[in-house]
Amino acid sequence: MLLEVRDLSIEFHDHGIPERVVEHVSFSLDSGEILGIVGESGSGKSMTALAIAGLLPRKKMNKEGSILFEGEDVLTMERKDLRLLQGDEICMIFQEPMTALNPTMRIGRQVEEALRVHHSELDAAARKERALRWLENVGLNDSERVYVSYPHELSGGMRQRVMIAAAMVGGPKLLIADEPTTALDVTVQAQVISLLKRLNKEERVAILFISHDLSLIQQISTDVCVMQKGRIVEQGSVEHIFERPENDYTKRLIAAVPRVEL
Amino acid sequence: MFRIWLLCMLLKNKILRKIFACLLTLLAASFAVFAAFEIIPGDAAVSRLGSNASESAVAALRVEMGLDKPFLLRYFLWLGGLFRLDLGTSYSYGIPVSEMLLDKLPITLCLTLMSMAVTVAVSVPLSIFYAKYARSRIDRTGYVGNQLLMAVPSFFLGIIMTWVFGSILRWFTPGGYVSYKKSFGGFLSYLILPSLAIAIPKCAMSVKLLRSAILTEADKEYVRTAYSRGLSTMEVLYRHVLKNAMIPLVTFWSMAVADMVAGSIVIEQVFNIPGLGRILLTSIANRDYPVVEAVIMLIAAVVVIMNYAADLICRRIDPRIRER
Ligand SMILES: Nc1ncnc2c1ncn2[C@@H]1O[C@H](COP(=O)(O)OP(=O)(O)O)[C@@H](O)[C@H]1O
Ligand SMILES: [Mg+2]
Repeated sequence: MLLEVRDLSIEFHDHGIPERVVEHVSFSLDSGEILGIVGESGSGKSMTALAIAGLLPRKKMNKEGSILFEGEDVLTMERKDLRLLQGDEICMIFQEPMTALNPTMRIGRQVEEALRVHHSELDAAARKERALRWLENVGLNDSERVYVSYPHELSGGMRQRVMIAAAMVGGPKLLIADEPTTALDVTVQAQVISLLKRLNKEERVAILFISHDLSLIQQISTDVCVMQKGRIVEQGSVEHIFERPENDYTKRLIAAVPRVEL
Repeated sequence: MFRIWLLCMLLKNKILRKIFACLLTLLAASFAVFAAFEIIPGDAAVSRLGSNASESAVAALRVEMGLDKPFLLRYFLWLGGLFRLDLGTSYSYGIPVSEMLLDKLPITLCLTLMSMAVTVAVSVPLSIFYAKYARSRIDRTGYVGNQLLMAVPSFFLGIIMTWVFGSILRWFTPGGYVSYKKSFGGFLSYLILPSLAIAIPKCAMSVKLLRSAILTEADKEYVRTAYSRGLSTMEVLYRHVLKNAMIPLVTFWSMAVADMVAGSIVIEQVFNIPGLGRILLTSIANRDYPVVEAVIMLIAAVVVIMNYAADLICRRIDPRIRER
């Protein structure tokens, strides 16, 4: 098992009254697989994702349970060991590619950054070569120009492709995608979904795909966890959940899906 | 026709347009300076000869000094001189103003550079330190100290320093200025205290600005992305946050330099340094207008140039400004 989340609870305690935003969440993801997490906004999806990526602040929050990545617990790991995983084995892309990129740094340097951190054996030319190859691989054909561009010079879809290239450049085993298409328009959404599917096949990268939109999950994944108010209320194959939803909340999510196929 | 076309083409270039605007600003400043001394009551010829000089002597001197010519003509003659770096002749000393300034400029320049070096070298690490301990007790204590230092005027710091280091500790001789021509080392070491007096309030202000800019940037999403690539806190700070946080500071520092040159009037008086500020003060007292005008133009030029430099640097840092 690549990733095993066991009984994860996350509690804020920075405003005095503790607030549980994730409660007893358990799921697992095999290498090379795709798992969807669906739930309305505020249901704790991002908190779960950030916890797995090791990006939650160490103080200010109580975390219980365990997040086993290849058998090692991300939650209790030393920071320096965690950093060895981040950007190399576990990568993450976010909802807003504009703000997730540094506005004053050229795209090339941002795409190469994981290599700079984790692959010091590569020299500048080798890093650039890999970055350019990845920019092309995610569908940015004008890679030389994109390489020297700044984020604001690209469209939203291009920026998200850049984020994907920057995440994939180190050859991760797990890609966490937190609502990666929410900020994009529909046609670009479909392109990004099919890009992620292709990368999953070609690179054997496991993907944790998070969305509030069940129809998107259906396009990319066979398995899904349904989250509500910090808990997983239903879990199983997408097919099964569409056919025999047991939970009222799931039924409502299904009702919100525009019926095109099925 | 061709010339106008050329001018239009040149003005399309943003950098050239900016330089053009700078020159225009300086031109306006030169007129204002010249006109101001025209309006201010008092006659240079009278003040040079004394109030009980005979009328004919005053009139003769006025002709000799060129004061009998109409105002605009004198302005353009003076302006033409500025372009040739001919700043006229000092009324009181009878030597070319440019020679006087060239002699004093290195002093004030050195003082400004030293103050600026201290400001940059101290404020950047200190801001990083404060930002790291944001909202802790160190931060709150630091805030009070910072606020205090920011509010203390340089001349007051200078007086206190002279008293403490000069009269009590006897580490330095108040008024023991050493000319840079005599001993450059002695000259620089005499400038240490004055440059600290100038730098401390600027430093405090820089720390306040940079600390808050670092904290603002640290909350942005690109920082989380940087962490997701396995960077350490220090790497995130130096590779990502600091560059973005420097943008407001660059503007402040450029103004600080201009302020230091203008503020040399006061601090040079406190520490008895014969620099630009001293010249300005004595020449105002003597109604030595060519000198006063030249020094003011020099200060104006520093302000304009520093503004321009800040603009260029901000453009280099932030590509989004370049587009505007
Ligand atoms: N800094 C914070 N302090 C307290 N509560 C927070 C903080 N950030 C997020 N939350 C709460 O955590 C819950 C889960 O948020 P999130 O994981 O972002 O939801 P989702 O990604 O599913 O929309 C929300 O109810 C939100 O209000
Ligand atoms: Mg979210």
